[in-house]
Amino acid sequence: MVGANMTLLEHTLCGLNQVVLSRISEQRFEVITPIPKIISPLFRLESERYLDIDDSWPFLSHFLYDAQSHWQEQHPAAFDSGVWLETVKGRELALEASAMFINGQALLLVKELGQKYTETAERLQSARDHLLMEESLEREVVKRTRQIAEREEQISLCLLAAAGCRDQETGAHIRRIGLYAALMAEELGWSRAQVDQIRLAAPMHDIGKIGIPDHILQKPGRLEPHERTIMETHAAIGASMLSGTEIEMMNTASDIARCHHERWDGSGYPQGLKAEDIPISARITAIVDVYDALVHKRVYKPAFDEAEAMVMMSEMAGTQIDPRLFEVFQQLLPKMRAIREQVRD
Amino acid sequence: MIQKKICLLGGFSVGKTSLIKRYVDSIFDDKYLTTVGVKIDKKQVEVENKKVNLMIWDLAGEDDFCRLQMSYLRGAAGYILVADPTRPHTLDKLFCLHKRAQKTIGNIPAIIALNKHDLVDQWSLSDSHLSELEQLQQPILKTSAKSGDLVQSLFIDLATQMLSD
Repeated sequence: MVGANMTLLEHTLCGLNQVVLSRISEQRFEVITPIPKIISPLFRLESERYLDIDDSWPFLSHFLYDAQSHWQEQHPAAFDSGVWLETVKGRELALEASAMFINGQALLLVKELGQKYTETAERLQSARDHLLMEESLEREVVKRTRQIAEREEQISLCLLAAAGCRDQETGAHIRRIGLYAALMAEELGWSRAQVDQIRLAAPMHDIGKIGIPDHILQKPGRLEPHERTIMETHAAIGASMLSGTEIEMMNTASDIARCHHERWDGSGYPQGLKAEDIPISARITAIVDVYDALVHKRVYKPAFDEAEAMVMMSEMAGTQIDPRLFEVFQQLLPKMRAIREQVRD
Repeated sequence: MIQKKICLLGGFSVGKTSLIKRYVDSIFDDKYLTTVGVKIDKKQVEVENKKVNLMIWDLAGEDDFCRLQMSYLRGAAGYILVADPTRPHTLDKLFCLHKRAQKTIGNIPAIIALNKHDLVDQWSLSDSHLSELEQLQQPILKTSAKSGDLVQSLFIDLATQMLSD
């Protein structure tokens, strides 16, 4: 009866493509159940029943190292090797070994995973194909977004070139304003996209001057009060020129154009906005515009040295400019100076 | 004959299996077939007039579905870290695996394969990735399993390092 049961068990194991080996010594094992046909070419037995798991079985001999401690601890539960692949007659077989300790015997079960492996592999393949597809789509979105940003940059440069035909500001000043503002935004922890937006948008703060008559825009000396009123409309003109699109950068540019002459204490124009009611992009631009204007020569004033400029700006903090943003600006002063030195008039 | 075990580590679909196939069997297949488990290939090489039997362990790529068992590295004389710079996040995986490998088996010879060099126009390595790669102070080869570029050198350079170690 026992023999009959054993035979049934042996047949079952064989049918499941599993073979059981019993440990004789560290590397030598006795094969105690029939070897399934599918894996039999792998088993080159020493005599009829013994197998030496040596370097010709690199994965299994590696696994034996971990299995030994499992057997020493006499764990009846199976300790699995993980899957490894062997090529048998041109066909790849997925195998797994399990170490267990039963009835005083250290056993090693080797099984061919067959359909179970195929299903796992197919599931993983499909999940990874899906991930690769997602990654590829994400890369495409990034690429397209970059193309759009490049186009936005070109458009803003065209607008600035058009405005530059009538304004006396230099191209270098315009570039510096964008770079200073981007530096501030970076320091404030803005996202990469927002930093890029203010870099392009800040230089357009005075674009509304395109709508100011020449005799006022290019008048040397002081403006009469009625001329000043006209001059101040450049903020609203610029904002209006830049509004009405669904482009984030243009919306930022419109905010900056409208509000860069607003003052922290509410005494600015065109709306008399106060403190944090003024968009932060405009507050940043106001600070960097003042700085750049002070340290460079203009037709109506000499260039101040940086120390003088900082004293003057400190006096403006809390009245004309945002005092907290001015602190950030001061921390970045060496980097601002580096931009000023790199992008010269 | 000297026998040395080397392991290939990297994220999924960076080309570990393709590099081995190119090196061992001189073949390349464009179709991506994910590796599940461990596949061991053997290749005899001659390095500095010594015959060496390389046991090349192809370890399944790591991702959210599969975590690499670092115990597979036991007994390795060197390892190859593979990344696909067309997918820059595979560099992050490379850095992470390198740290875990060092923690598991210490400082053994390693070499970095920036694979898929045939797609170099699609590579997008950030400055931070480049500086982090430099900081690893490991040899870096720009390989292509597809064209075969520097695949041979990848294994031979590592074998040379291992023999002089």
